[in-house]
Amino acid sequence: MNGLHRTLATVAAVLAAGAAATELGPRVDPVRLAAEIDAERDHISAPELAKRIMARDPTLHIFDLRSPEEYEQLHIPSARLATLDQLARQPLPRTASVVLYSEGGTHAAQAWLLLRMRGYENVAFLREGLYEWIARVLEPRLAVDATPTERTDFQSAAELSRFFGGVPRAEVPREEVPSGYWSNREAGQPAVAKATAETVKGLRRRGC
Amino acid sequence: MNAPLTESGALGPLGALIMAPLIGFAFGWFLERGGLGNARKLAGQFYLTDLTVFKVLFSALLTAMLGAFWLDVLGVLDLSLVYLPETFVLPQAIGGVLFGAGFLVAGLCPGTSCVAAASGHMDGLGVIGGMLLGVIAFNLVFDRIAAFYDSTPLGAVTLTDLVGVPHGFGIAVVAAVALVGFAVAARIERTRA
Repeated sequence: MNGLHRTLATVAAVLAAGAAATELGPRVDPVRLAAEIDAERDHISAPELAKRIMARDPTLHIFDLRSPEEYEQLHIPSARLATLDQLARQPLPRTASVVLYSEGGTHAAQAWLLLRMRGYENVAFLREGLYEWIARVLEPRLAVDATPTERTDFQSAAELSRFFGGVPRAEVPREEVPSGYWSNREAGQPAVAKATAETVKGLRRRGC
Repeated sequence: MNAPLTESGALGPLGALIMAPLIGFAFGWFLERGGLGNARKLAGQFYLTDLTVFKVLFSALLTAMLGAFWLDVLGVLDLSLVYLPETFVLPQAIGGVLFGAGFLVAGLCPGTSCVAAASGHMDGLGVIGGMLLGVIAFNLVFDRIAAFYDSTPLGAVTLTDLVGVPHGFGIAVVAAVALVGFAVAARIERTRA
């Protein structure tokens, strides 16, 4: 074994020891996680996600936690299908900015915790899942009796919606405007849930 | 994030077409420089008289493994976009035995047979011919062995996933095995020389 071999072997040994050391790093502190959740730093809004997709953010990794059938029917552009098991194992770049969503928010929130426990810093989920994407990006609606602020917000939402092939609707009855944590009303009203299902069907017909 | 270049779009289809032969030629050149175009040298691996194959291939493995891990940690390479072939335990084990038997008989493997042929060894051309016949035979009987070909699937798994240890620890173990292997190989070669 000559000098060059010895040097190369030492470099390999140092890099390998360093690789093992990256796994010994401080584990995520539960108190810190609780603070992040309290400060609502654990989620991202659908319009914010839409803007990042539009900007072609190269660090963005979107994972869809629903079933393959639901994914086939409709998913957020550039999202990849993933299970909780895959997210618990799959290596991701340390600098990745991960966004998770499911049908509602439960699975995505669980996946958020898994990835944070694995040491990924930049993870967020859509609090109301695909419903929020449909309600705020694909099919934003403006109530007949909208306030001036709502009208201004609708303009930018409509622009975003058209980019993603959605159908913004203006001047609809107030009860048909989707609501959630972003509005003052509770989410999941029957009329809106039905409208969401119809949107998915409509989008399928358009081949989206 | 900018790698893998083909996945991030930094390298278009044309760029990939240009890069592939360049990488291929570089690979062949290094194999030839490592002495792997010589069937006697390769067969020496099986008789423990010449451990060049082990040293060259394990160095490549070690370099790629450490490089990929650290580039991922540094945010240069996105490992989740790197293709991971699926594992089928039994068919691949039998394929490995067949491959090893062929390697021993020919003294060359697919890559090194091309290197041998390119550097003017006629046996290299013979092995390439045999390999092509094997490919044709495999395709002719494929329908009959298709069920076996897809049997005992494990999915796209890595060694560390299978054992259930973090990647970093797995890397340290494989690197330690390789480095000890190099030292043992050097000793064996000295005693046999």
